[in-house]
Amino acid sequence: MSDLHETAATGTEARAVAVRRRLTRPLIWVAAAALAIAVPFYLEGFWLQTGLFAMSAAVGAIGINLLTGSTGQLSMGHAFFLAIGAYAYVYFSADPEQGARQALGGLGLPTPLAAVLAVLTAGVAGGLFSPIAGRLKGAYLGIATLALIFLGQHLLFNATAVTGGYNGRAVPPLHLFGLTFADTPALVVMDVPFGALERLWFLGLLLVLGAAAFARGVLRGRPGRAMNTIRDHEIAAGVMGVPVARYRAGVFVLSSMYGGLAGVMLALVFQRTVPDYFGVFLSLDYLAMIVIGGLGSIGGAVIGAVFVSMLPQLLTRYSDSLPLIAEPGSGGVSPAEAARILYGAAVVSVVLFLPGGLAGLFARLRAGGGGRTGRPARARGLRFSSSPTPTPSPDTRS
Amino acid sequence: MTPSYQPDGMPLLDVRDVTVRFAGLTALDGVGFAVAPGTVHAVIGPNGAGKSTFFNVLSGVYKATSGSVRLDGAELTALPPHRVAALGVARTFQNIALSRHLPVVDNLMLGRHRLTRAGFVSSGLRLPHARREWARHLDRVTEIAGFVGLGDRLGTPVGLLPYGVQKRVELARALCMEPRLLLLDEPVAGMNGGERLDMAELIVAVRESLGISVLLVEHDMGMVMRLADRVTVLDFGRRIADGTPEEVQRDPHVVRAYLGTSPDQEDM
Repeated sequence: MSDLHETAATGTEARAVAVRRRLTRPLIWVAAAALAIAVPFYLEGFWLQTGLFAMSAAVGAIGINLLTGSTGQLSMGHAFFLAIGAYAYVYFSADPEQGARQALGGLGLPTPLAAVLAVLTAGVAGGLFSPIAGRLKGAYLGIATLALIFLGQHLLFNATAVTGGYNGRAVPPLHLFGLTFADTPALVVMDVPFGALERLWFLGLLLVLGAAAFARGVLRGRPGRAMNTIRDHEIAAGVMGVPVARYRAGVFVLSSMYGGLAGVMLALVFQRTVPDYFGVFLSLDYLAMIVIGGLGSIGGAVIGAVFVSMLPQLLTRYSDSLPLIAEPGSGGVSPAEAARILYGAAVVSVVLFLPGGLAGLFARLRAGGGGRTGRPARARGLRFSSSPTPTPSPDTRS
Repeated sequence: MTPSYQPDGMPLLDVRDVTVRFAGLTALDGVGFAVAPGTVHAVIGPNGAGKSTFFNVLSGVYKATSGSVRLDGAELTALPPHRVAALGVARTFQNIALSRHLPVVDNLMLGRHRLTRAGFVSSGLRLPHARREWARHLDRVTEIAGFVGLGDRLGTPVGLLPYGVQKRVELARALCMEPRLLLLDEPVAGMNGGERLDMAELIVAVRESLGISVLLVEHDMGMVMRLADRVTVLDFGRRIADGTPEEVQRDPHVVRAYLGTSPDQEDM
């Protein structure tokens, strides 16, 4: 990996690079912020919805990347925690109703409180699983968490009083600081009608930024060092004073809460929760996101989330002008299937050719172009089991 | 950093009758010895003598089948590794166990884990006390890095450093735990002559300037005889000798274990 992290250039060259970066960094940020703010004013609903799905996926992917990429703990159960977040939000915020065929429960709490409680509920669910999450390592945890998916599917279909069963439930729109995140009441900003998607866009941006900043703080701080060492050398972590089981459990809870927040966001965008969505394929999608984006890297999780969640949407939209892709239901390769095939191929190519994922690729391009110095690319997740990088495995038991 | 323990004749580490069995194989058989405070104590023995198993018992990685290990009176054998670390036992690994992609400073800061408090929430939100704690401990880590001779390497990813320097990073990381007892598992294995000398000087400095007791496993006899105040020799999981380097070198059991048996020594 030495091509990724070149040693610090010395003297004046390093200083020149540092100055250049200090000048260009804020510019890039300002440009990105302007672009993100301009989007709802120019793009149509389809793009906004696709972008919002990507934002929700980004939050979820950051969460599972903390667990899988940075701590080396595989989870197949991420979809379960998204479901908990989505359904808990609905249950906490909806008013109870007596339908024709079934009664739906609800607490009718203020929606921001319901959203916070939903995230906490996902954390509690992760906490309940933590005796297992703390004891099992790596792929074994992956197998155990698979059970959560089946448990989740069973509950979603059968606990109809809470989940609405097969039909799912309508999601009450969020009311925050006097603003309702729905199409009514109508709101027009600078001659652009601001519906639910436009309003949610800004909330989504804030949540993604917040989620990323929090994860970055964790990774760069004391917990992050402990997590990386648990992934790289479990025995060394224990010997250095890290309570390994407690950390594994803690990261699992944190990752569940990220999943829960992603679930709340998804519910708000989708405006309806449906049980089928939270199946094993969603969990696989999340694993694909972090592998493609770059294990252990926050930027990687976001890039991977955008890639994996936008691909099927784009293929669906342009299916008539793309070869080999048929309309959904017409018997050929549907856009969703084509997307899975494509990102399956992407996963394989990343594992074979890009050990740092897309984030690692960008870091390398930047290193090649700009004489990157100082701290190495923070593509920390390179040592997850699928990595082709040969690393000395410490046979500490010899 | 004054040693918290004043030498008064009581050993810092007291190992008694430690036995470790793995399904039918007895890796350690009733091993016992004592490490006096402020000394360098070496454990030597041919390959497979049980030295590494012994280290793993001391650091809590393995559970002893029977016997007792006491650090300053506190029993270690029932504790998980992180609790052993909390009592002031630090160790290095025979095969380097660092995070290769992280810079030296992050690897060293891991050594401060048990001395710091910042959790998920305070780190994630970058609360002021977490940042202050980080800055305070960074000072000490920088100081230790200077002591070990890594002062100018703090920002370099560990994977880019030469092998000998990585071994130093391991030692520095252990020192960052502010231990009372330092366990070194083959600190000079695979090093060239110059690196060996540097490491030996460093170990002496650790004992003399920091007052830390050192227990080391090593194959390099020259180094053991030069550095160690006392030597324990293991063979096939048993203690066959214990004494000063001179005593041990003369011990017929040791000669036999290392050089093989000759007929006239058979009855000793």
